[in-house]
Amino acid sequence: MPSDLVIIVIYLALMFIAGLFFSKNIKSTADYFLAARSAPWFWIMGAVWATNIGFLHGYLAHGGAAYEWGLIQANFEWFQGPFAYILTGLFFIAFYWRAGIYTVPQFLERRYGPAIRLIYSIAWIFIFLVTIAAELYLGGMFLKNITGLPFWGTVLVLTGVVGTYTLLGGLGAAIMMEFVQFVIMMVGTIPLVFILLNIVKGFDGLKDTLINQWNVSPQYFSVLPDIHHPYGPGPWVILALCFVVSIGWCAGHQSMVQRNLGARSLYDAKLGYVVASVPKTLGAFLYIIPMLAAPIIFAQRGIFVEKADAAYGKLILNLLPSGMLGLFIAGLVSAGLSSIGSVLNSTSTIVVKDIYERFLVKGKSDHHYFISGRVATFLIILASLLLVPVVTKVHLIMWLEQTILAMLLGPFTAILMLGIFWRRTNTPGSLIGFLTGGAFALLMVIKINVFFLIGWWSFVVTMVVTVIATLLTKPPKNEKVEGLTWESDFHAKVGFIAEARAANNGTHVTQMPDIKVALPPWYLNLKYWATVILLVQIALLLFFG
Amino acid sequence: MAEEKKGADPKLIVAVQMTSIGVVLVILGTTVFVISLLSLLGLVQTSNPWTPYIAKCSIISNGAIILIGVAFALGGLIRHHEIAKNKKNEDNQAGS
Repeated sequence: MPSDLVIIVIYLALMFIAGLFFSKNIKSTADYFLAARSAPWFWIMGAVWATNIGFLHGYLAHGGAAYEWGLIQANFEWFQGPFAYILTGLFFIAFYWRAGIYTVPQFLERRYGPAIRLIYSIAWIFIFLVTIAAELYLGGMFLKNITGLPFWGTVLVLTGVVGTYTLLGGLGAAIMMEFVQFVIMMVGTIPLVFILLNIVKGFDGLKDTLINQWNVSPQYFSVLPDIHHPYGPGPWVILALCFVVSIGWCAGHQSMVQRNLGARSLYDAKLGYVVASVPKTLGAFLYIIPMLAAPIIFAQRGIFVEKADAAYGKLILNLLPSGMLGLFIAGLVSAGLSSIGSVLNSTSTIVVKDIYERFLVKGKSDHHYFISGRVATFLIILASLLLVPVVTKVHLIMWLEQTILAMLLGPFTAILMLGIFWRRTNTPGSLIGFLTGGAFALLMVIKINVFFLIGWWSFVVTMVVTVIATLLTKPPKNEKVEGLTWESDFHAKVGFIAEARAANNGTHVTQMPDIKVALPPWYLNLKYWATVILLVQIALLLFFG
Repeated sequence: MAEEKKGADPKLIVAVQMTSIGVVLVILGTTVFVISLLSLLGLVQTSNPWTPYIAKCSIISNGAIILIGVAFALGGLIRHHEIAKNKKNEDNQAGS
């Protein structure tokens, strides 16, 4: 164990130094909040995946849920993630990117006005504070269990490292660390699944032992839950996941979107998002499949697990030799740090861009808002630390976070989809729909508290109410929605094609326009990637459904 | 919205990121590699049946991390070199 501690300390020190080194290049708000719009597609891919995967989403909380409920947890990796990454990359990112915005609430204001921007911003700041506190709690507990150091000591070390590089380096530093995490996770932690499957004699051996010898329900190995499952019955899970929660998460979560806004081109942003679905799918082999085998290992070695969230830590601690264990811990810590860093950076972006600059202190210099970003980051760290004791009282943290997200993402996805795909949607309609959907979601939390159902039904209610309220009120002015809807985007493309044809025919333009479209190589073609990944999803559903 | 101050060179940002990632991965990978080897040598003496398999996995994954690190570090340094070369050319052109 002392040698593993050396690895962790070296790793944290490297992150700290790299963050300090990088921060020297940051000079303006665009550098700080959008990494100077420099990121190539593979940066985006790694960053999107690493933002998604942390202590909370991924290894500890999702791994813990897989230990408790089985393969159904792979829904997030095999259906929610890939499907939403592809749809968001192909259809939604372009609107954000072309609008030249910093935040999702900024886009909402352009489409629907300032009220919805304010509500959405405040809701996300609250969610982000809870998320950071939950990540710090899980990370602190994990390090405490592994190293034996005091809980608050480990939390403060994590906060110090991630706070420093995010506070000084902004999005660029966060993306950099996320890519390090991507490599360590993908290459360094994948051996665990091979080692475990080797011990339990493959996936068939695992199924055989659990179903035939332990009398575990076959449902444990299905990605579709039955009617009595706490997640809700199968079809709702797929519907709510793929069409509401996941799209809302990918297109509405500031941390996810912000990475794409930092891309060097729209194509890089789109491709990065679509290709990120590959590591997302593989994620199930990093922390879901190993946790299915975990009960057998625990039984063989007489290990008692008091809380599902602690199962992953106990598994690696008892299975891996020194060195590999250190790398694993470093990988898990980096997963947590990158998620905290990205959320921290996004929260400060929303606080500065959507609240401070928009509503409180307008028209100051760029340097003023740049410094404000750093001050906001510091204050958010402090606020999150204060929330940690509250989060420690929650039984299954993933459930709390998913419930809060479903309450916001259901209504958000409805107004985002309507806003982009139905030009007629107007400000009063969207506001009434959003608030009604939010209130309905709150009611559902009190009555049934199943987050998939909350997400789906609040989406449906928001859709219906927004459509009715929109039809009863005046349509929006053309200039207000120009460039922000699918229709206007389509018209622009058609107009471009018509102009080019006219130029070819020589009817309107005397000189041939010099149109050069740089096509990407076939292996970077978005459509090929999207098709292959969707086919893999169907295969997984057929095999494990 | 306030006017944006002139920011950093995006190419330089990517070069710095690549070099940093490369250095972090190489140092981390090498440290883990050395510690794993020492630890696995100890495990061989305890006749753990899974040791050869774990050793193989460990060597492959650490080797891959080091290789990726070297590739990124070199890529970053090459980009740094290109940026410096372009800047020198621009300065020369401006001077002439």
